[in-house]
Amino acid sequence: MRVLVTGMGGELGTRVAQLLEERDDVTEIAGCDFVPPRRRLRRAEFRRIDPRRRERLRDFVLDFAPTHVAHFGVYEPASRLSPDDASARTELATVTALSAAARTGRLEYVVVRSGLEVYGPRQNRASIPDESVPPAPRSPYGSSLLRVETVAAGLGRRHGVAIGALRYAPVVGSHVPSPLGRLLRLPVVPVSATNDPPFSLVHPEDACRAMVAALVHGHDGPLNIVGPGAASPWQAVRLGGRIPLPVIGPLWGAASRSAELLGAAIAPHVVELLRSGRTGAGEAAAVLGLGTLRSTQEVLTDLYEWAEVVPLAAAQASAA
Amino acid sequence: MTIGATFGRDADRVSPVESPWAELRRRVSGRYPRDGFGLDPQVSDLVAPVLDLLVRVHVEGAEQIAPGAATLVMNRGLGVAEPAALAVAVAREVGRRVRVVGAPDVTGLGGALRRVGAIGSSPAEIGAALAAGHLVVVPLALTWLRAGAGTPPLELMQAITSFPVHPVGVRAGGPFGLAVRPWRVTIGEALERDESYPAGDPLAAADVAEAARAAVDALLHGTVSG
Repeated sequence: MRVLVTGMGGELGTRVAQLLEERDDVTEIAGCDFVPPRRRLRRAEFRRIDPRRRERLRDFVLDFAPTHVAHFGVYEPASRLSPDDASARTELATVTALSAAARTGRLEYVVVRSGLEVYGPRQNRASIPDESVPPAPRSPYGSSLLRVETVAAGLGRRHGVAIGALRYAPVVGSHVPSPLGRLLRLPVVPVSATNDPPFSLVHPEDACRAMVAALVHGHDGPLNIVGPGAASPWQAVRLGGRIPLPVIGPLWGAASRSAELLGAAIAPHVVELLRSGRTGAGEAAAVLGLGTLRSTQEVLTDLYEWAEVVPLAAAQASAA
Repeated sequence: MTIGATFGRDADRVSPVESPWAELRRRVSGRYPRDGFGLDPQVSDLVAPVLDLLVRVHVEGAEQIAPGAATLVMNRGLGVAEPAALAVAVAREVGRRVRVVGAPDVTGLGGALRRVGAIGSSPAEIGAALAAGHLVVVPLALTWLRAGAGTPPLELMQAITSFPVHPVGVRAGGPFGLAVRPWRVTIGEALERDESYPAGDPLAAADVAEAARAAVDALLHGTVSG
């Protein structure tokens, strides 16, 4: 198995590369991103390429000629990039990398990162959508994810390649750059004054295990990857010892700008989650043989558990 | 699931209420779970004793409910009283929560009812609740002041055909439908399934719907005991 990991510089992409390095059936691993990997890689080859440099990206993929692609080159708005940049890079990375991989003629399987955002705001008629619920995104990120799925599916049909799409619940962890995680760690967090809807999360390690399992199983079609249980904005904020700030409809714009000034930009899909909730169901754990996933409440607890910074001088004094 | 994941509260089983101070502290510190349908087990457990006082019930046939997912198809006169009586009966006799189909799509009201166990009225919602192992209550159409079972919601029945379906008759204890005495809740045996139909077959759904309506009617008129 020759695996290409796009978006290898992100927390998830790097960890997936590490997990793939441990497998004997993966003969070669190559990856690219516009930022370097976040951990040490032993076997994987990394090339720093901005998706906007399409020729470089195309040539890199053509040279490597992957049999499998783990497409993490999907950028969440307000995570590391502005919403416009994230959308543009996602589109370029998807079209360029996947079409180049298909042109080599060796491609067997592609799995793309997607998200529950494709289902749009939580609906009364399907509050926990499974994969059979038709996507109806309302946020730019949801539309971007659906576009990634559509491009990949089109490529799969043209070239006879199986395509998997992992629709992740928000991936949140203490070391993962995520707009939701950053927002929940502000001292004061905006929440809906009129609604306290449930939302689910998935642990970064489970997200990575799911990606590797999808590559191994070659599952064709979408799968929701969601941690069991749910939280709600008010409950999550209080669990972290933060102060909830009730916000009503017209004031969400002002709340978003204030949060951005405090260092946690709120993208529209995060506002959608806070106001309408976001959950999902499915058989992913059984289909991919993932065992038990960490629950949403455990993911939240993990988010708030930061390693304490202990000044060296003070630590030495207390040890003496 | 660990205690750390649910803070000692379960989405399916009723939990005892702690002291008011402990409950308040739990609330303020965010140490309570929610579930994906919107259930708030802590609020649900706090409401249960109040409901138990307001809605008195006499239950027959509770032993018919086996562990795991199942559907309870029940009659309904004016709307909310019968589902409340069934919720109290199941909580008291079986120690489980019910998911009552029919949460309205109205901001505030829908969310409030979901906190105590309501779910949306759609096959997707019912299918997800049953897949998660819950007890789902599907009310028949309103019969107002007329005694008997109402029309089954055919569009929902397709989602329940793969799971046990119990008919439930709920009658007001007093004369002329007045609840001056405890509600009489009779839970019937699970309906026999016709295995010749494939899962989700519309004809099977129609058969189950009619069988459930007839069984509820029989329970209400006392021709079948629970």
